[in-house]
This record gives sequence, structure tokens and C-alpha cells, in this order.
Amino acid sequence: MSKTEQMEVLIAVYLFEDLGKKDYEAVMDLVEADEIHVQGVVLATKDDEGEMKVIEAGDHAVRKGATMLGGAGLVVGLFAPPLLAATAVGAGVGAMAGKFAKHRLESGIADKLDTELPNGSAALIAIYDSGDADKVKGAIPNSIRSSTAEVDGKHAKELKAGLEEASAGLSG
Amino acid sequence: MPEKTPQSAATIDRSSLPIRRPTFAGTTGRTLEGSKPDWNQATHVAPPAGAPNVLLVLIDDAGFGNPSTFGGPINTPNYTRLAENGLRYNRFHVTALCSPTRAALMTGRNHHRVGFGMVGEFSGPFPGYNATIPRDCAPFPRILQENGYLTGGFGKWHLTPDNQQGFSGPFDRWPTRLGFDYFWGFLGGEAGQYDPLIAENNKIIGVPEAKDGEKYYFQDDLADKTIDWLHRIRSEKQKTPWFAYVATGCSHAPHHVPREWSDKYSGKFDKGWDVMREETFARQKALGVVPADAQLPPRNDAFPEWDTLDETHKRLYARQMEVYAGYSENADWNIGRIIEAIDQMGELDNTVVIWIWGDNGASMEGTLTGTFNELTTLNGIPLTPEQQIGLVFKHGGLEAWGDDQLAPHYSAGWAWAGNAPFDWGKQVASHLGGTRNPMVVHWPDGIKDAGAIRSHYTHVNDVGATVLDLAGIPMPDSIDGIKQQPFDGSTFADSLSDASAPERHTQQYYEILGNRGMYKDGWLLTQRLQRIPWDLDPDKLRAFGPGWNPDDEPIELYYLPDDFVQGKDVAADHPDKVKELSELFWAEAEANNVLPLLGGLTSFFGMVPPIPKESKFVFRGDIQNIPSGMIPRIYNHSYTISADLVIPEGGAEGVIVAEADHLGGFSLFVQDGKLKHTYSMLGVLEYTQASETPLPTGEVSVEMIFAADAPKPATGGEVTLLVNGEPVASGRMEHTVPGRFSGYSGMDIGRDNGLVVDRSYADKAPFAFTGEIKHVTFDVAPGLSDEDAKALHEHAEQALAAHSASA
Repeated sequence: MSKTEQMEVLIAVYLFEDLGKKDYEAVMDLVEADEIHVQGVVLATKDDEGEMKVIEAGDHAVRKGATMLGGAGLVVGLFAPPLLAATAVGAGVGAMAGKFAKHRLESGIADKLDTELPNGSAALIAIYDSGDADKVKGAIPNSIRSSTAEVDGKHAKELKAGLEEASAGLSG
Repeated sequence: MPEKTPQSAATIDRSSLPIRRPTFAGTTGRTLEGSKPDWNQATHVAPPAGAPNVLLVLIDDAGFGNPSTFGGPINTPNYTRLAENGLRYNRFHVTALCSPTRAALMTGRNHHRVGFGMVGEFSGPFPGYNATIPRDCAPFPRILQENGYLTGGFGKWHLTPDNQQGFSGPFDRWPTRLGFDYFWGFLGGEAGQYDPLIAENNKIIGVPEAKDGEKYYFQDDLADKTIDWLHRIRSEKQKTPWFAYVATGCSHAPHHVPREWSDKYSGKFDKGWDVMREETFARQKALGVVPADAQLPPRNDAFPEWDTLDETHKRLYARQMEVYAGYSENADWNIGRIIEAIDQMGELDNTVVIWIWGDNGASMEGTLTGTFNELTTLNGIPLTPEQQIGLVFKHGGLEAWGDDQLAPHYSAGWAWAGNAPFDWGKQVASHLGGTRNPMVVHWPDGIKDAGAIRSHYTHVNDVGATVLDLAGIPMPDSIDGIKQQPFDGSTFADSLSDASAPERHTQQYYEILGNRGMYKDGWLLTQRLQRIPWDLDPDKLRAFGPGWNPDDEPIELYYLPDDFVQGKDVAADHPDKVKELSELFWAEAEANNVLPLLGGLTSFFGMVPPIPKESKFVFRGDIQNIPSGMIPRIYNHSYTISADLVIPEGGAEGVIVAEADHLGGFSLFVQDGKLKHTYSMLGVLEYTQASETPLPTGEVSVEMIFAADAPKPATGGEVTLLVNGEPVASGRMEHTVPGRFSGYSGMDIGRDNGLVVDRSYADKAPFAFTGEIKHVTFDVAPGLSDEDAKALHEHAEQALAAHSASA
């Protein structure tokens, strides 16, 4: 089990919504098995009617004593409080559903996903210890494209920079 | 057979066309007193008494194993209805490529003999490849027309050279000069079903507009236009026989069909192409269109096994086939509407319907992955499977497959399975997957054993002779004073009424892009080039340049009467037959202008036409719908687009000039008062540059300068926008389109017809310019050296040839 402080942010996209869910669950299985350390995992899906939903597991669901961002969780910080209020962040696959309220999102990545995800597709965002990268990537075989970036700070601005870098890589 | 009698008491000499007015048989006095009239002087020639109507239907890019009528998975109830009341021909053959098949169909001659060893987009330097039907091989519709038939052509044509499809002609290879009283359709090899560029008679009339909030759909309009023509001619001439040629754009890419058609097949192809092929084969045997003792040939390793694919690819590919199937069923439905209209007119019993399902087998040109935009393949843009899927994702996901946001083509695996039970497909003239297609003939007045199967060897060049035979019209010796070459095809008219009629077509050569075959009396000798048909990489093709010995290609021999599926190579057992047919092929090749082999790809071997001298193109006035093959050649080097405008007080907006659409094209436009330029590199990459400040009012000159890094294929470069000579915006384009933006979409001045280039103004399409455009000028050779011009010209010709091979 990796104990590095260096984090990696991954964005993976899926042509099919259910295959995104499948990989998300595979990642969360690793989390539950304590195989990897994550700061958070998000699955954004867009159904055939264009409605966006977010499934999210925050860091304290899976890693006690996380210190980054005061325990609020890096990924959790990506989304606006009203959206997260309903988020189940207990053990296992934390889940929530709701309309993707664009104006409430605090991160550019959310806007980007809402714009770029075609109907019926999905995107997975995960932030984890760099040493777990191979395990995470091995758990997402159904992704049609993924991109990663290193996050070496402990603050939201580093995460946002990493997300921007990863999402730029996704577009390339 | 109809009675072969002249139209009047006067004996009509039909051997020389146009038919001369008969000698005046009356008398003329100084006044009417004593004058005797001869009304033959005032009547038009009529077909022989009893001549039937003829409806000739040709489906595009489809395989023997596609329609359910021949055991395929695509529901074709109208085709089946005609087959059950008519005849299925299960040994009907085509040339393995689009224009060549159409040329043979229309002229009754071998395709090379009439200049169509390749397609209309490539007019090459040898007689067999010049894409120009010679005047001594007049199409049979011209013969019908000159004998009094009413003739109408609808849909895809693809027999007019690419650079002759504009307003300036020449028009002698347009449909109306080759035998059709009326033509409505498109001249090129393909069309978007939602935004085709339509030609009517001798004019490009533009992109049809949607009505009543519904998207325009070409196939529906094709049926409407055909029915309308039938109604109109019957409103004026109640008895004159007619000939209608209806060639669908379906099932050629782009595979466009409304979702209600493709959703009918939801889940139907989840088991993949290997299973589809096997299930089709079983149904074919049950129907009797394939002999009961036939064995399905082993799978071709050029196509991946379905079970080896991951879930994402399986689902993507399954959807590709669902769309293709819905697209094809829609074609069946629309042809069914035409049949129904003829029935309502009370003329179906005396209408010979010849319906051919496919002109070259199904197309493998989508490559193994299928493609979101077929022009990427045709431009030689290498995209990995991951990139293809990523681009599907980018352009709307799987939901967009079949919609107007993509120009898709399915995976080659579906084409291979759609050609079941045969191997290979389009372009591969050595194999039945490319050369054998279904044909149904329906004619209640002439067919007495409805529902039967005919296994006479027949070829697309037989259709002309057959139609003339049924009409009682002789092959003329001369037309317009030009002695005519005889048909290469033979009539199979007597096989309609007589199952035991002799097989007249006993010998036929095949050749497309070097793949070749020689058929004689049941034997088929083949030689297939050892290259993948969808790969036109110049480096790989050079292996077939000077120094290549065609006889070195592997030889196969089949005896088809015992081997319907071309599955058992017996070359080793019959060396004498191999030698005989090999020699016969070369003799036929020489006699039919097939030589030189690969004459349609000369540009890959250093033979290119003279470099065009024109480098400035000035457009004034309301110029729209310049065919995609005739726009200024801006590819692969620096160029400028400049325009003089008048901007009224309050500003202006709209398109100054635009070519094609968001899946490949460019647009120079004004939006929110600002000058903008958007360039779509085939939907793979998009670039936009925009000024920060609005255009001034009054007389304004604007310019877009593309400064290429180097004159080379797909070059990157810097874009600068200028207003009144001052730079206002700049940006870089890493890659540009090397060959062609679109297979069908045209260029417009002052608007963006059809699908638009920059979707930010899609809701205002065609986004007509609200100011005044005095002129738009392209300079396609600023600073280009002669050496560079020569190199680029060679590339451009190669790109054209590559595009053509897949058209």
C-alpha cells in the first residue's frame, strides 16, 4: 500500500454510462479493500435525455485522518455545497443523484464535463496517491480516454491546476 | 415479348438515331384544295407497340447478404414482395466499384471501354480511366429516349467528371445529355442525406431546406420526386412508356437515417458480425438463394473476431450496424412508395422493375473501426481506434451516429458479413463479395413463375440489352451520326419467362484497382493484390508501380457451378485452365482499355496532369453551392482569402465565405460585429480566430492569411486576420486538410448553406451576410515556388485518386 504524499488526479471518460459505473465500482472496490488511497472519486453520468448525475465518494469515506483541505476532501471541494449536502459519503460507494446545477459548481471541470459529455456517456475523476496509479488504471478498462496530472500541493489551487492539466490532456 | 411493330404505317428505321422524320407521304397543292396531309410529319416517334414501362433501381454500397430478401438481417419487405411476385437472380454481377458499375449499367458496355476503370472524381490519362463516356457508346436511356420513351433519372449519378459539375459545364456528360429528359439528384459519389447538394437537369439548385420543422431527408424526397415525375408525365401523356432510373444514396456513407429507423434494430446486432454472417448463410440456404450443399468459407483474418473485442467496441460497432440497417430499410420503404404509386396508376403489371441491391458489394472503407467521418479515411488521416472512439464521444456520442452531426461509416467487419456468403467486398473485383449482388425482376405481364430463382450468369452490362429487347427496340448502328460500338452485355430477357432459357453471358473480365478476375463458362480465375483495400498509403501502393509484375500476384481458380461461394481454390489441379484464363484476361484487358493496370492510380506513380495555371479566383455576386471538387485548391500551402465589404451603420453579421461543414470546412464570417475565421480539420481539430473589436462601418476590406509552415501535406501554419490592412487576430493551425473537405458539400459566398462550419451560428443558418460583399478573392499560390507547386500538385492528385478509390 502506497503511503506517498504525492497525489495524482485522473479524468477518464466513457462512451457508455453503465461502463463508467462499472469502472467506478471497480475503483471503489479497491478503496474498500484498502488497496488504494484516494482523496475522492467522482462519477459524472449523462443519461440519454441529457440529464447529468453525480456519484461521489469523498475522502473520509475511505481514508480516516485525511488532512488535505481539512478533511473536506479534494474531490468534494469540486462541487457546490447544495449538491454535496445530499451526498452519501459513508462507507463503500457513496452515492447521490441530482441535477447538475452548473451555476453552483465551483470547479471549471464540472462545467467542462457538462459541456463535453455527450448523452449516454460518463466521466470518472479520481484523486489518489501516486503510488496507486497502476492499480487505479487497471481498474478502468472501459475508459475510452483518460488523462492524469500530478498534484504535489495540499491546497485546492493545486488540485484545480492538476484538474486543468488533466482535462487539457483529455482534449489532446 | 411485345409485338415489334412500327408506330405507324410508315416503316420506322430505328437503326440510326435520332430517328429521321419520315418522308412526306402526302401531297401539297398551291392551296389546301387537293393537298393531302400526312400526320406522321407532326408526330413524335413512339416506342414499339406494347413496349413496357421500366423502373430500374440501384441501391448503393450494399452486399449480397444484406437484404432479408436474400437472407440478410435487414428487413426489406418491399424487395421481398417484388421477389415473391417476380424473380430472384442469384448470380448477378457488378464491377466492384461505384462509377464503373453505373457506367456498365447505363451503357451496356464494359466499364473500361467507356472510360470508367475508376470513378468520376478521377479523370485519368488513359482511355479506360478518363471518366468520359465516349460518344460511340451511348447509354441505353438515350436509345430509349430517341425511340420515344419518356425518361427520368433520380438520385445518385456519379458519371460526370468531378471538375465538370458546376454552372459552366460542360454538360455533355450530365444525365440530360446522356438520355434523360429529366434528372433530379446529385452528380457525385455520395451525399449527406440531410443536406445533399442537388442538381436538377443542367443546374445545381442547392441544398434543400427543411419543411414544417422536420429535418430534410434525401431518400424521402427522392421517392417524392420520382412519384411526382410519374404523375406529371401521365397527366400529359397517358400511354407513352416511360423509363425511370432511381439510384439511392443509401447505403453509401455517410450513414444517415432518422432514429426511428435505426432503433428498429436495437440490440439486433449485439452478437456481432461473425454470428450475423453465419445466421445469414443459414437463411440464404433456407431461401434457396444459396445452394443447400454450400459451405460457408472460413472467416477472413483481415477482420477481427467479434469475441476478441472489448465491451465498448462491441457496443459501438453494434450501433453502427443498427444505423446501417435502418438506413437500408428506409431505402426499401421509399422504393416501396414508388412501386405503390405505379400500382395506383394501374401500371405495375406492365412495368418491368429491375431492382439491384448494391453496386459493388458492401463497403469496407470505414476501416476496421468504422469512422465518425468518412472523409478522414478518404484524406488518409490515420486515426487509431481510440481516437475514432474519442471523436465519436466529442461529436455527440453514440446517439449522434446516424444524425447529421456525424458523417459515419461502419466497420469493415459489417461489410464483410454483409457480403455473405462471399469474401471481401467493394474494390475487390477478384472476389464475389465485391462483384455479386442481388437482383430482383418484377413484371407480372411477362413472368409466369413468380417467386422463382434464376441462376443464369448475369452482369450489370446485360441490363441495357435486356431492356431494349423487352421494349422491342433494336441496338442502333449509329447515334448522332457516330457509329456505335456493340453492347458487351447480352440480353437475359427470355429468362424472365423461361427458366430454361440459355445462359448467354458466358465470359466476363473483372478489374478494379488491380484486383482482377476472368470468368468463362463457370470457371473464375482471380488475382487479388496483396493489400488491404481500404489502405491507400502511397508508400504501399508504390510496390505496384514500375517493376511490378501483375502475374506474380497469387492465382486462384474456382469452378463456380460446383462452388457457389468461391470457397475452393482448384488452381493447382487445373494448370491448363489457369493458363487459358490468364491469357484470356490479358486479351480482354487489351480489347477493353483495361491497360495499363492501375491506370486509375497514376498519380501515385508520378503521372500527374499539367499544373493548373490559375491561382486567383474572384467571386462576385450571389455565388452559392460550388461543388466540393471545384473550390479553389487551398490545400497544403499558404493561401489568402480577401473580401471587400460594405458594412452599414449599425453593423453587419453573417458569413462572407464558407465551405462545407463542421466535419471539414472553413468559414470567414462576422459575428457580434467581429471578424472570425473557423477551420475544421475534418472534425478532428477545430481552430477559430476572432478580432477583439467590431468591424468599422462603410467600405471595409478584410483578409485571412494562412502562412503555411511549409508546402507539404496537411501542413500547419499561422493564421492572421486583417481589417483594412491591419492585423486584428491571429492563431495557429497545427494541421490542415490535405485532400478534400467534403465529398458533397459545396462552397458559398455570403452564406453557409446546409450544415454549417461553425456551430455557434447554426441557429441562424445559413447566416446570410447582412452587409454587402463586393467580392471575395482567393489567392492560392502566394509565394509558392515552381518546385513546391509541382510537389503539392502531385500530392493533390494522389489525394484525389485515394478519395476516388473509395467514392
